[in-house]
This record gives sequence, C-alpha cells and structure tokens, in this order.
Amino acid sequence: MSWIPRLRSLLKRNRLDHDLDDELRSHLEMRIADNRAAGMSPEDARIDAQKRFGNSTLFKEDTRAVDTVGWLDECARDFRFALRMLQRNPGFTAVAVLTLALGIGANTAIFSVVDAILLRPLPYPEPDRLVRIWESSAKHDSPRNVVNPINFLDWRDHSQSFESLAAISGLMTNLSSQGQPIAVQGMQVSPEFFSVLRVAPFLGRTFTSAEAIPGQDRSIILSYELWQRQFGRDRAVVGQKIDVDGRPSEVVGIMPKGFSFPKFRAEVWTPLPLTRSEEWKGGRFLTVVARLKQGVSLSQAQQDMFRVANFTAQARPDNNKNWSANVFPMLEDVTEGVRRPLWVLLASVGFLLLIACANVANLLLMRGTGRLRELAVRSALGAARSRIVRQLFVESLLLSLAGMAAGLFFAHLGLRSLLALVPQNAPLPRSEPIAIDARVLLFTFFAALFTAVVFGLVPALRLSRVDLQNALKQGTLRGGVGGHQSLRRCFVVAEVALALVLSVGAGLMLRSFARLISVDPGFSPEQLLTMHIWTSPARYQDDLKRSQYLDRILAEIRSTPGVQAAGSTHFLPLTEKISGSCFSPADQPAPSPAESPSAQFLIISSGYFQTMRSALLSGRDFDDRDRFNSQPVAIVNHAFVQRFYPGQNVLGKQLRVCWTIEKPVEIVGVAADARQAQLQDVPEPTIFLSNSQAPMYFATLLVRAAGDLGQIARSAEAAVHRVDPDQAVSDIQTMETVFSDSVSSPRFQAVLLLVFAGLAVALAMIGVYGIVSYSVSQRTNEIGIRVALGARSADVVRLVLPEALALAAIALLLGLAGSLALSRAFASLLFEVTPTDPATLVSVCFLVLAVSALAAVLPARRATHIDPMVALRYE
Amino acid sequence: MRKSKNDLLQGTLTLLVLKTLARGPMHGYRITLHIQMVSKDILRVEEGSLYPALHRMEQDGWVSAEWGMSENNRRARYYRMSAKGRKQLAEEEKNWERLTQAVAQVLEFA
Repeated sequence: MSWIPRLRSLLKRNRLDHDLDDELRSHLEMRIADNRAAGMSPEDARIDAQKRFGNSTLFKEDTRAVDTVGWLDECARDFRFALRMLQRNPGFTAVAVLTLALGIGANTAIFSVVDAILLRPLPYPEPDRLVRIWESSAKHDSPRNVVNPINFLDWRDHSQSFESLAAISGLMTNLSSQGQPIAVQGMQVSPEFFSVLRVAPFLGRTFTSAEAIPGQDRSIILSYELWQRQFGRDRAVVGQKIDVDGRPSEVVGIMPKGFSFPKFRAEVWTPLPLTRSEEWKGGRFLTVVARLKQGVSLSQAQQDMFRVANFTAQARPDNNKNWSANVFPMLEDVTEGVRRPLWVLLASVGFLLLIACANVANLLLMRGTGRLRELAVRSALGAARSRIVRQLFVESLLLSLAGMAAGLFFAHLGLRSLLALVPQNAPLPRSEPIAIDARVLLFTFFAALFTAVVFGLVPALRLSRVDLQNALKQGTLRGGVGGHQSLRRCFVVAEVALALVLSVGAGLMLRSFARLISVDPGFSPEQLLTMHIWTSPARYQDDLKRSQYLDRILAEIRSTPGVQAAGSTHFLPLTEKISGSCFSPADQPAPSPAESPSAQFLIISSGYFQTMRSALLSGRDFDDRDRFNSQPVAIVNHAFVQRFYPGQNVLGKQLRVCWTIEKPVEIVGVAADARQAQLQDVPEPTIFLSNSQAPMYFATLLVRAAGDLGQIARSAEAAVHRVDPDQAVSDIQTMETVFSDSVSSPRFQAVLLLVFAGLAVALAMIGVYGIVSYSVSQRTNEIGIRVALGARSADVVRLVLPEALALAAIALLLGLAGSLALSRAFASLLFEVTPTDPATLVSVCFLVLAVSALAAVLPARRATHIDPMVALRYE
Repeated sequence: MRKSKNDLLQGTLTLLVLKTLARGPMHGYRITLHIQMVSKDILRVEEGSLYPALHRMEQDGWVSAEWGMSENNRRARYYRMSAKGRKQLAEEEKNWERLTQAVAQVLEFA
C-alpha cells in the first residue's frame, strides 16, 4: 500500500471528486452515444447507460475510498458518531468528563510543580556538570555542612576534577543611592562564580580575580530586576559609584533578566575576598558550587575530594580532624528536601487519576449494557469486532480529550491556589516560574491518552464480545450483563482500595501536622513583631560603636507607645537558621577545635527572653552591667545543662567559646528550651552571648506590643530611622507569620493530600452507589414481591447491604496492604507519627466503611419506596 | 484499506485491465468495450468494479492517468501502463497460468 499518493489525494480531495464526476460523465455520454448509434431511442439509451452504473453514489464512494486514506476517513466518521452518542447522553457525558477533568487537572497541576522543580534542568549551560561540594562531619551527622574559607582555597588549589570552583556567602546590603535606604539580599561570590555557571552579564562585566583581594573589592553587580526597579534601566549606571553599606562601590555589571541561584534570593552580587589569614581558620559558612571537567564522573570527583579533604585534615588537624567533603549533583542538592514530598504528591494524584479511570470505566460498562442491542445489530450487519472496539475506543478518547480540556482549566485554577500556599519569602529550591507550559501540556496529553486506554479499552473489549444471539433475541437489557457486573465489582474494589490508601496518607499527614503545630515552641508568637536590620560595616566597623548602636535602637523602640518589650537575636527562631561553635570548660586545658564539644549559639540583646516570653529557669538576663569591656557573660539553655552538666549548678562556671570572644565567658543564667531551626527539631544545647559583648553586623529586632502591629511596625521603623536615617529595615513580619510559614511545607502536603483523599473517597462513593443501584434495579422484581409480602425497608436494606460491605471489606484489606507497602516511602514525611499509626488506620477504615455503607443504603432505601405493583410489572 | 471480498475476481479484473492497457493508453469506456469485444461478449466489465480498480491501480503506480480527447472528440481520462504495471502484468499472468493449470488438473483428475 503506497501511502504518499493516498495522503496527497486526501489533501486535494475536492479536485479529485470533481475529476471523478467528469470521468464518469464522459463514460456515460460515450455509452449513450454508442447506444444511440446502435439504434436506441434517446430515452432508452440514457436509461441503459445509467443502469450499467448501478447505484452511482455507492459506486462513487467505493472509488473514492480507494483514492483517499480510507482509514482516516473512517476514523473521522467514528469521531462524528461518537460525538453524536455523547451528545445524546448529556448526563453521562457530564459526569464522565467532570470525573476525568478532576483527575487530569490535579495531575497537571502537580506535575507542573514537579516538572519546574525536579525535572527541568537548571537554567545554565551544561547543567549536568554543575555540582555542589559540602564539608561533612561524622561527629555532627551533617553530610552537607557549610565550608571553611581556607579549606575552600585548598580545594580550589589541589582538586583536579573541576574546571572551576566558586564560594558563596549570603549577605544583606543597604543600598542608598537616592533618598530612602533599601535593604537588599545579595550574595558575596568568589570571581569564578559566573564562569562556573557560564552566565555572561547583560551589561558590563563580572568580577576579576583582582577584586577578590581584600581592599579592592568595592564592586557590585546588580540584578536586571533591581536595575529596572531602582535605576529605571539606565545604562549609564554601569561604571557609576553607588553607596553600598555606607561606602561607594562601582557598579561593574548587570546580570541578565531572570538570573538567579537556587536558594538565594539575591539581587546584588559583591566580590568575596578570601585569604588564608588566621581569622578565617575556625568558621564554616561558605556554599561551594563547581563545574566538573568534561568527561569527569561524579564518583571520580568524589574520590578526588576525599583525597583533598584528607590533605586539609592533615594540614590543619585542629579544625579539620574527622571532617571530609561530599560532592552532589547540583540539581539533586538544591531539591534535596522537596523531592520526596513532591513525588509522594505526584503518586497521590496518580492514584486519584486511576480512581477516576475506574469510575468512568464503570460508567461506560453500565451504559454499554444499555447499548448491547445497538452493538449486536451492528455486528449482525457485518461490523468486525475490531471495528466495534475502535468505535467504542474513539468514544473514550473523545471523553478523555474533553476531560483534558476541562482538566487544564481546573489545573490553571488549582495551580494558582497551590502557589498561594507557598510563603512569599521562602527560599525556593528553584526560582523559575511554575506554569502550565508546553512540557506540561505534553504530559497532560499523554495522561489523557493513558486514561482513555485505561478506562476505555477494557470496557470496549468486553462489550464487543457480545453474545449476538442472546442480545438480539431477548430484546431486554439482560443480555451478557452478568459478566460485566463482576468486572464492575473489580473496578469498584480497586477504587475503594486506592481511596483508602490516599485517605490513610492524608490522615497520617493531618495527624502529623496537628502534632507539629501543637508543639510548644518555647516562646509565644502572638503580638510579636520581627524586623531585620543589617548594619553597614563601613560606619560601624568599630565593635564598641556597633554594640552601642543596637542598644540605642532598642532603647528608642522601647520608648515607643504601645511597645511592651523589645529585644534582638541574630537568627530568628523557626527560620531554619542555626549557628554552631565549639566550646570547652575554662578550668581545663583547651582541646583542639575539632575535638572540642560544640553547641549552637545565639547572639541576643538584653530583654530577648522577656520579649519572646521564654522563661529564665535560674540566674539572670543580660542587663546594663554587661558592657563591651566588662566580664563576658553567657546564658545557656536547659538542654545544654542536661547534656554537659547534668545535675550540676552551672551558674558561675566559665566557658571558652571558640566564636569571637577571647576571654572565657561566665554563665549567669539558664533559659528554658525553645525551638530554633524548625518546630520539629528538638532543642539543641545552646549558648546565648550578649550582642553588647559580641556585636554582630545584623540582627532581627523583636517587638512585643499591644494593639495593631501594623501601626507598631511603622513606629518601630521610625524609631530606627531616628537613630540612623540611613538604616534600612527589611522583612517586617509578625512572629505568627513566621510561625505559620515555617510549617508551610507540611501544611502544603497535608492540605493537598486531604483534598485528593476527599475527591478519591467521593469518586469511590459514586462507584459503590452505582454498583448497588444497578443490583437493586436488577432485583426490583424480587424487592417488589418482598415488600408486597410485608418486608420493611430495613429488611430490604439488609438484602443489598452485604454485597456492598463485602466489596468494601475486600477493598479495605487491599488498601491496608497497599498502605503498609507504601509506608516506608512515607515515614520521613511524618512528625511523631508512624506510618502504621493504628489510630489513623482504624479511623480511616471506619470512615471508608461508613461511607461505602451510606453509598449502598441510599439506593437500597429508594428501592423500598417502589410501589409493589409497579415492581411486579417491571419488565 | 478495504479489501474486496472476492480476491480472485478482483485479481482477474486487474489482469484483464492491465493486459488491455498493454496495447496502449485507453479511457475507461474503451477498456470495457475492448474486453467485451475480445472476449466475444463473454466477459462484461461492470463500471462499478472497473473504476475503483482503475483508481486503485493508479494509486499503486501501475497505471498513470491524464485527460485527453477521445476519437470522437470527447474529454476522457486516459490510462497508461507504467513500468511497474508491466512488471505487475507479468506477475499476474504467471499467477493466472498457474491457477488455470491447477484448476485444469483438478478437473482432469476428477
């Protein structure tokens, strides 16, 4: 069969039709002429000629079928027919399309998130060669620890697997170009940063290695967005000096639109000067990104880094003993925490789609039994089985395409509300927009095709296997129904089982979330305002001056009307920020840092505990006695005492803290435990130091006040500006928002799973309802007799309920088995709830059973209201 | 593609048409006349079979068609056998001989 001329003929079908008409007419005329020549009358000549042609329409059709691609033509016919069938049953069509639209829409929405975050390659050239490298410590159980600057320099000099490595440190900057100071998040980067990512600036240049030398680092690169917002896209800005943290810096470049780095919300980039000076020896704070050399595998790079880490451990054992280095592909690294939850969500919507398919398959079977006569007639007239299967399948395809169209609309709405659940200022793993784009559309299309096959093919094959004789002879709907009913039962069992699995998942997430938000954070987040300040290093380089600066700001805020208490901390609780330091008792010889115990530390102001409403268990808070040059003091938390001085009085004990203070600090108080990094993390041993004695460059101000916090926020900002008009204030939010944002991701999962489970149970309920309705309608006769003989409605319900409950019971067993099988994948997402939590399993089973029973009782009760006379006459 | 129910007849018609066209380009009506004449009125080609067959052969590339003027000045569509058609004719002739021989043998045997 040669396709090309046929396809071509399909395209020029009109002309061909014309040709054919002409050809036949010419034939006819020649025949008439010959007939006339043979002596016929004109009338007879014409009749004879036409008779020879027979049914000219049929014959033209036949000839045309040869010319055009008959198959395509027939398909088009099938589609038209299917469309008519669906139009004729608007109720059925609406239910089926809506069911599919829910399934396909939910899948599209979740897939667009999964695609944007997990699947799409990072937006840099050859992203597969990008890796991130962390330090790792067996002792601290941290495979991804930020990196020490000197170690980074050693990595850069001694590793052999990388084209280049870059170090990154996050920072806040105060820009004050004209008028109002603004606080901008940025990144300090080593000059290789841009070449590692292979991103060229939109304007100007990136950093040179000279700019990584301390003292020559007064350059800045702006994001396109900041340039647009603050400088009105003025190209002349490049080369100009702007005020950055109180010092003039030259704008050397503008990055292209949309340029970003995962997990940093940076709008400016400044050089990161790194030297091997002593002061860098202890701290670890760098993020390292690198590009693998062409042809170097990940495991080769990992081996290489083990070797280099071994070298640094030997070179500086004090700081590096027991430390190593880990290499991770960048995409995997930045999506580390969200991968499992997203896959779980995608699997959940996948289940939902399967349930939707089972439901529609059932609808098709149910309707199909009503069409047995039609199908029987068709096959009696000579339609091949394949032809009937195709006809039915085309109907399914049409349904799923309609479902896809409606589903895309649902997905559009769903995605919007989904993204609204994500906190505004969360550092997302990917900053590329999440939208329904061509890739997602392709996925949706295949999802629709898949659903058409799943829900359409089985009923089509089943229905096409009609017992012709029976279907035609009986003339009722009974023919061949029994087999379909058992197939439908299988579908319903599958639906209920899947709905149970989803409900168990949702139940577990919900319980876990309830546990999580009922955790006592150790402070009270109500009526508490937080705001961030970053102190310009140029103006407050002097430690004494800087320590007094924050005290002055706090004093000014405390004097504001409505403010009850104010304090500060360098890392706000529940924002996943912690800092650690080694320490040792001052009355013993100091071990090396790598061998010292370590604890978290927080630099706070006096009044912190009072403002947070955290209890001081013993001793005192920091106060005016603790000045910059007086005896350094510390407060420790309860966990610290428990871990390091169980049962002892720690007040008056002296500690050497590796962080910042040379002189030993004296413990003057013990604070109650509070949650720091996130709500689910148990409190770690923590040392609090006073900002007056160990002043930081940044702080989060905490203001506890009565009344309208928006008003208080404006007064507090004004108070800050009274102390220094150039001090930018950023991230003004209530502690309740911080609290709520901190649980946004478990909430996101719980809400979505709950919605999916709700839909799943509703669909399963429709399935059970359908099957029981059907068996009731089959037994109308019997029920009528029973009612006529005096059966009450309870008796009738008892008649049909066992079937539904038996199905539900089988489904429960299968669903429970499924849940247990999936529990391992789920465990890491749960907080203080095991994936086999008996209370959840029992209550979900009970719920599903109750819902199934309800779905069964409704049609049963309706049956009892049938007039016995009508029932007896049925059929 | 729809297959005719009677492949034998279909094949025969193809053979007859190809053999006829081996004499030179001809329009459909002329083909029917020729077959009828040569077979001494025993074989009459139905228009209802001829045109679908001609068009199928055209699609398969055995014949090509173009408009021309008939002997008595009518516009008619002329079919011309292609090289591929010639090969097909040889093939079908061989098949036909095999078939008739086989039938003859059966008849003799019986």
